[in-house]
Amino acid sequence: MSSRIEILNEGGFRSDGRRQYELRDITIDMSQQGTADGSAIITHGLTQVLVSVFGPREAKMRSQTLYDRANINVEVSIASFSTGERRKRSRGDKRILEMAATIKSTFEPVVQTNLYPRSQIDIFVQVLQQDGGLLQACINATMLALASAGISLLDFVSAVTGGVHSTSPMLDLTALEENDIPHVTVAVMPRTGKVTLITMETRLHVDRFEEIFKLACEAGKVIHGEMRAAIRLRTGMLISAMQSVSQNAGEKEDEQMYEY
Amino acid sequence: MSIVVPGEHVPAQHVNLKLGPGLIQLSQGSTSSATPKSSIISTRAGSLYHSANGSKWWVESNARRYVPAPQESVIGIVTQKAGEGFRVDIGSAHPASLDGLAFEGASKRNRPNLKIGSLVYARVSLAHKDMEPELECFDAQTRKAEGFGELKSGFMVRCSLGMCRKLLDPNHFLLPLLGAKVSLEVAVGMNGRVWINSKETRHTIAISRCIEAADPDGKGMEEGEIKKFLGTLDA
Amino acid sequence: MRPPSPSIPEKEFVYEALKQSLRLDGRQPLELRSPRLTYGSELGYVECALGKTRVIANVDAKMVKPLPERPFEGLLTIHSEISPMASSEYELGRPSEEEITITRMLDKVLRRSDAIDKESLCILAGQRVWHLRLTLHFLSDAGNMLDCACLAGIVALKHFRRPEVEVIGDEVTVHSPSERAPVPLAIHHTPFCLTFAFFPDETTQPVLDPTLLEQRLSAGLMSVALNAQRELCVVQKMGGVPLVADGVLSVINIAVTKVKELDALVEDSLREDWKGRHVEVR
Repeated sequence: MSSRIEILNEGGFRSDGRRQYELRDITIDMSQQGTADGSAIITHGLTQVLVSVFGPREAKMRSQTLYDRANINVEVSIASFSTGERRKRSRGDKRILEMAATIKSTFEPVVQTNLYPRSQIDIFVQVLQQDGGLLQACINATMLALASAGISLLDFVSAVTGGVHSTSPMLDLTALEENDIPHVTVAVMPRTGKVTLITMETRLHVDRFEEIFKLACEAGKVIHGEMRAAIRLRTGMLISAMQSVSQNAGEKEDEQMYEY
Repeated sequence: MSIVVPGEHVPAQHVNLKLGPGLIQLSQGSTSSATPKSSIISTRAGSLYHSANGSKWWVESNARRYVPAPQESVIGIVTQKAGEGFRVDIGSAHPASLDGLAFEGASKRNRPNLKIGSLVYARVSLAHKDMEPELECFDAQTRKAEGFGELKSGFMVRCSLGMCRKLLDPNHFLLPLLGAKVSLEVAVGMNGRVWINSKETRHTIAISRCIEAADPDGKGMEEGEIKKFLGTLDA
Repeated sequence: MRPPSPSIPEKEFVYEALKQSLRLDGRQPLELRSPRLTYGSELGYVECALGKTRVIANVDAKMVKPLPERPFEGLLTIHSEISPMASSEYELGRPSEEEITITRMLDKVLRRSDAIDKESLCILAGQRVWHLRLTLHFLSDAGNMLDCACLAGIVALKHFRRPEVEVIGDEVTVHSPSERAPVPLAIHHTPFCLTFAFFPDETTQPVLDPTLLEQRLSAGLMSVALNAQRELCVVQKMGGVPLVADGVLSVINIAVTKVKELDALVEDSLREDWKGRHVEVR
């Protein structure tokens, strides 16, 4: 291998001490951000992405409205401090535009756009830190943010990256590993087990691809479990908060009644 | 018949001369009296035709972009509902408008139910260079549909404007040839769109491929070639 | 003004025909429009046509100073901008989503897949390297411009030959083609891109090499770039209709067989063209 760093050592450990199929720590924060209708921060190891969702609301440009469904608008910006080397990417960077287009077309069939005709759903993706698995984090964060915005979705989407080091497949790559070995990003819908997104950019034999692809589909389900738990927790908290408010309100009403 | 190019003098002379598409008469002042040539020049490349008595002259040429002309039948796609009527794309520079009342039996209460994306067969009722073209789906005098209206199911083929004119010519070989093989319905628009329908999908595909093959803008197949081509198709 | 989306009868007819595995141009669902390659008088000029979709690719080389971080590697840049000439859907200025996909895919298929051996383009380490410029002109869009552009690009690179150079010490001599035969580029492998279109109805099988109408009515595209040695270079399915995992793998397997045919076709046409050329070697 051309690398100076051992991707997988003899003991079966990776450069950051993980096993082959071990995923990085996932933390999910779905608390309200500013005036957004829904937002989420997801962290996969050292990769962190913040997504804010606005809408459905009236489109800024009337020409963008579609008469029978909502238009999804995705804008991605990558913080210049997000990588080790400080680097400013312009908004017109093709790589960023491609990522925005990917996120848009991944969620178009998932969001029930036909429920919100002539409106627009804005998804703003802000990359805060990157250490591999950028697209995966962006998709997962967008999923969570859409869910927290209360937009009707047909299914869940969860994404994960997989790679192959000579013949051994592994999951959830860091930037170091991504630079060295072929990697595939897959987004799955756990309810049906179907795949909405696949991207791969490096040379890989067909048979190897099959192996890693199937593995990534499985791993997507594990990530789905994490995301599902986070949404349940958040929703549970909101519901209990609402109940206590309504109870309080009820008590107050009672008190007021007494006063009369 | 001769071939003319833009700017060529045309020897058209008649007491009651009428000029068709592709010809203009220059004002007398601009052509100096020294040249005895006619003051009529061609503005398009194509073949020059005239009527038997030489009173009507025109240039036959092929194009793809449609310029609306009154009383021509066209096929349009509904792109927008606008108040009482519809906006229809007929392939011209500007979308045409179609009044919701310009249908047979339409009234304030009973308006036609056209969806966005529907196909309509209509006649251009107004075409003026400073105004949006207007369409109607009935005969304004009799208020009868006369075959105009929404085109349901079937398929729409796009071809050159010259091909449309050929298809409308009763002496052209293609439609009788196809009609002898399969039963079909056709609506030819002057705007380079032909709607076809038949009982079976493969027949419709065969018809659409024949129209494309016979188009002078494409392969420009002649009768014999089309017959051979049709034999290779599964129809 | 963008052309309006296909009408309801057109849409219903295409879906119905595809359900019966019929396509409007008479092809089988998994049949490619057979590519027509026309070579120019100059080496590295190729016009590729898939039906009415046409793309011109041209390669030229000049000597430049290498990038300081890669002193041993030559450069390959791809210039592709879809002009409104191809179709009224494209405008100058802000690139459309499709244009971004095409440019990025070209970059991945032709440049990042390491098809060209960049180290062989080095003339004098740190001083002089060859800079290859691949320019693509999109002439007309009748569907699937991506595959057509990738094919034109890779064929142009295979067709191109750079002048022979001789290095003695620090002295670089470039031999004109009449003096010494120009040398072909060192190409590691030949990737081809194939695009499949999927439709909303799940029972309709995917079609290869969609036409413009099929592309506009499809519910998702999947592009696979690979070489005849069964090595995948790019797999890209950006959203769209979800597929079962086995469906994805079967599409890839179809691509494997199709690419072998395509590779043979390209090799034949290049050999044919080379036979017709007279290159003087003294």
